[in-house]
Amino acid sequence: MKIIIRLRKIIALIILLAGLIVLPHYLEFHYQDLLIFLIVNVLVVASYRIVTLTGEWSLIHAVMMGVGAYTAALLFKNYNAAMWFTLPLAGGAAALTAALLSFPLFRMTQFYFLIGSFAAGEAIRLTWMQFIFPFGGSGGLSGIEPPIIGSIDFMDPIPYYYLALGVVLICLFILYRIENSKIGMTLHAIHWKAPLAESVGVDTWRYRALAFIIGSFFVGIAGALKIHYLGTITPNQFGIGFMVFILIWVIVGGYKTIYGPLIGVVVLTIFDESVRGFGELRPAIYGGVLIISILFLPLGLESIYPKILTWCGIGSNSSDGPPP
Amino acid sequence: MKITRRDFLKKTATGVVLAGVATGLPVNVFANEKTVKIGMNIPMTGDYAPWGLPGLYGCEIIADDINAAGGVKIGNTNYKIEMVSFDHAYDTEKTIQGYKKLVLEDDVKMVMMLGGSTVSSILPWAQRKKMLTTTLLPSDITPKSEYVIATCESHPLYNVTGVEWLAENFPEAKTAVIVTNNDVEWGLQSASTYKAAFEVAGIKVVDVNLHGFDVTDFAPIVSSVLAKKPDIFCMATSFYTTPLMEQLYHQGYKGKIISCTLDYYNEIIAKTSKEFVNGTIFQFPDFDDPALLQEGIHFPDPNGFDAKFRKNHPNDWSAVAWEYPAILLNWIEGAKAAGSVEPTEVLKALKSNKKPNFVFGGGRWWGSELWGLDNAIVGRWPVVVIEDGKARIKEFRSLTDWLDKNNDILKKNMKALGLRTV
Amino acid sequence: MELILQSIVNGLIQGGFFALFAVGLVLIFGVMGVVNFAHGELVMVGAYTVWVLHAQNGVPFIPVVMIAIIVVTAIGLLMERFLFRPTCNDPLAGLICSIGILFILQVLATVVGGDGPSKQVPPPYHGTLVLFDFLHVPYQRVFSFFISAAGLGTLWYFLTRTKFGWALRAVAQDREASALQGININRISMIAIGVGAALAGLAGALMAPLANINPHMGHNVIITAFIVTIVGGVGSLSGAVMAAVIYAMFHTFITVYFGGVIATICGLLLMVVVLIIKPTGIMGVKVSE
Repeated sequence: MKIIIRLRKIIALIILLAGLIVLPHYLEFHYQDLLIFLIVNVLVVASYRIVTLTGEWSLIHAVMMGVGAYTAALLFKNYNAAMWFTLPLAGGAAALTAALLSFPLFRMTQFYFLIGSFAAGEAIRLTWMQFIFPFGGSGGLSGIEPPIIGSIDFMDPIPYYYLALGVVLICLFILYRIENSKIGMTLHAIHWKAPLAESVGVDTWRYRALAFIIGSFFVGIAGALKIHYLGTITPNQFGIGFMVFILIWVIVGGYKTIYGPLIGVVVLTIFDESVRGFGELRPAIYGGVLIISILFLPLGLESIYPKILTWCGIGSNSSDGPPP
Repeated sequence: MKITRRDFLKKTATGVVLAGVATGLPVNVFANEKTVKIGMNIPMTGDYAPWGLPGLYGCEIIADDINAAGGVKIGNTNYKIEMVSFDHAYDTEKTIQGYKKLVLEDDVKMVMMLGGSTVSSILPWAQRKKMLTTTLLPSDITPKSEYVIATCESHPLYNVTGVEWLAENFPEAKTAVIVTNNDVEWGLQSASTYKAAFEVAGIKVVDVNLHGFDVTDFAPIVSSVLAKKPDIFCMATSFYTTPLMEQLYHQGYKGKIISCTLDYYNEIIAKTSKEFVNGTIFQFPDFDDPALLQEGIHFPDPNGFDAKFRKNHPNDWSAVAWEYPAILLNWIEGAKAAGSVEPTEVLKALKSNKKPNFVFGGGRWWGSELWGLDNAIVGRWPVVVIEDGKARIKEFRSLTDWLDKNNDILKKNMKALGLRTV
Repeated sequence: MELILQSIVNGLIQGGFFALFAVGLVLIFGVMGVVNFAHGELVMVGAYTVWVLHAQNGVPFIPVVMIAIIVVTAIGLLMERFLFRPTCNDPLAGLICSIGILFILQVLATVVGGDGPSKQVPPPYHGTLVLFDFLHVPYQRVFSFFISAAGLGTLWYFLTRTKFGWALRAVAQDREASALQGININRISMIAIGVGAALAGLAGALMAPLANINPHMGHNVIITAFIVTIVGGVGSLSGAVMAAVIYAMFHTFITVYFGGVIATICGLLLMVVVLIIKPTGIMGVKVSE
């Protein structure tokens, strides 16, 4: 029985992967672009989930993406650094920033943490705005180009899509392993049974900070990945507007399992494209869907899919809440 | 609001059929009748909409007129002009998306843009697709941006003409303050140019206040600069002319006011008073101005254009309403000279004309001295003053003379604010 | 010296506005535990009401202010009944719902006013009060300041001198204990959001002739309200009023001497510092978590 489930799981994964590989060839040009941004956003929400595992909702995640993106942009502009080099350094810079911020931020919890993280993020973003050297001010920096390797030009969407897909899949795999490791279990424990965890000697501050640093590392990579394709960076890309979208993707998708946020970002992106014709009314439709899903689907889109997923053999044994 | 492709095809189709029926033209003319698409990748919603949307309205007026007159003959083909617009809301991601759509899917022959970070974000694409792209900000030009040209607006250079005129007519004004938004694209470019112009005119700049975009109350900012008792209050290229003027009015300011734009000045008058706004110096004429009828203005029937615009869109006139149309006219000239609508051909034809037509006359290619490439046309520019609650051109002044003499001072001031120059 | 005095006057007037909308946010959070992200949009609706009725259709200013208060209060009550009450067990759900409302109200404003340049409302009271030859205060601001003060005074009277006010403060302090005392929590929640929304509507209506009115004007409002709320203490109304004035002075003076963006960065850092040193704010009480 176990082998069959595992086999199903592998087959489902292979089908999914094959689908992801052939997909761009069937899309129009501007959908190929959109697909790249979607892939990047998948990494954004997956890394956000690590931060939220301990039960804290941070509003600084978008800015952390910006920290990574600005790091990559500055490395490229000033030292012409290759992408293979900027990606990990972007993650590193975001992780370092997170480590420094964790000292003041994790003195707070709940509402205070929400607002504190928002304030810290906004202060960082305004710093990018204020200092034209080196950040380019409100106009930002441009001309951050993806590499050309041999005859492959990564400015074209399809090669870049494969590059991004590869990076994101590796990151997702690592994130998945972290969540199912001892660290991940401890994070779950802090969320659901903080006093108990503390009483058995878990340093909750350290683990909450660790989750924040790990999440920031990966969203920093996502930022670099996005900016190398887009070629331009401005402070407004990482404002509260984008943060709200991250929150919406995660919450509408459902944040109890690792799949929820991914479903959220994919479904809502497709939905967003499908209502493009409504023009200026689009945000209101988005808002309406958001409210309806909160009122009638409080556990997110993932809660209507588990049966289908179980049948496919994917999220059957992912655990809800604390491990037994 | 937007002309969709389908709408347009319908419109042109009927137009063509009617023309055929009415004049009984031989059928083979139809074979040489084509449509050329001109793209507009501009902000049509959001904070920057006033510097995008009115331009589309203006271009539609020009294009409709041309099409109604049977189109324009380029080479051996008679072309109708179709405007295709994309609203990027001044967001770089949407800008790139829109640019690719216009170039790769709509097959436009030129893309008109507002400028700033939106233009720098598409530079690699313009370069690679060899797509003729226009900007309203010559400061977007870099040594490598050979496909980006600025054929109409000379922001921020023309601001020097206002300062020159002010210094000549009010020699007693000796000190100035500059208050503007701290964005690289408009505020700082403009502030540094005003500083250079004041320096050349012997006017001392006693305070420069560069504020962010999150100001809700301008009272403290205005109080702080008025404490320096300036003779001249300069708003450079501000997004906040209305609240600034309002504060100046309430805090009892009596000196001269100079600005780059004064869009929607009727609203400013409504919030302050006609007497207060009278005498304000800026750079953007209304097109019902009789001064535009004189020799050397390259714009067909400016007064008629103004009337038509205000009839169709009563509250939408802004600085850019005639600028995108002027660029469209430049393109038509270039295409006629090239005998082709292909972007590289049109660009070559435009650039090889040593005395290009400039909307206010006296144009020549310029830019390498400051930004590394001669891709902007500069020429004469009007100095506009509010008189009896109405914008009136006082004088057309040559920009090129000032630039030839004072380029080094301008460069020094731009560098001081961290702006890119050669 | 003149500049300092003028800045104090400017700061005080601005503080009045800050207090009006921040107090509403505090009230709603204190009683219902919901961070109303759409609070800035409630202010925006108040301003739009004035633009539509007063600037476009010539209805006199004072009645329009009343109508703005009624409109915004109605929106607040609808939000309470249909969004916050069903999600009262999950504060995050309330927050997300308010973000949904934020989008909807912004689009409504775009539909009503179009998405062009910011709207302007000519001030109903022209002219400027000049004191000692150098202090300039436009009559419109004098008027707005006194109305703000009157609004806050009425709120203070309501909270300390009426039965509903007592009940409301009791709920803010301890929801469960108050319920045990027989206080109708739902009714108190409605009153809290009604009062909070009314103040936001008043703030929006008063700001209309002084501000650039556009669908996104709520953004600055909510950031300011957050800072004021944190600095003043999350559960404290008097703290919010004091913090509003302190923050307005702080912001005004840094703007005058160092510039606007620096002022906002400093404001945010001030908030972070308060959060670290005294998370309950200058006048705060501990909120149950």
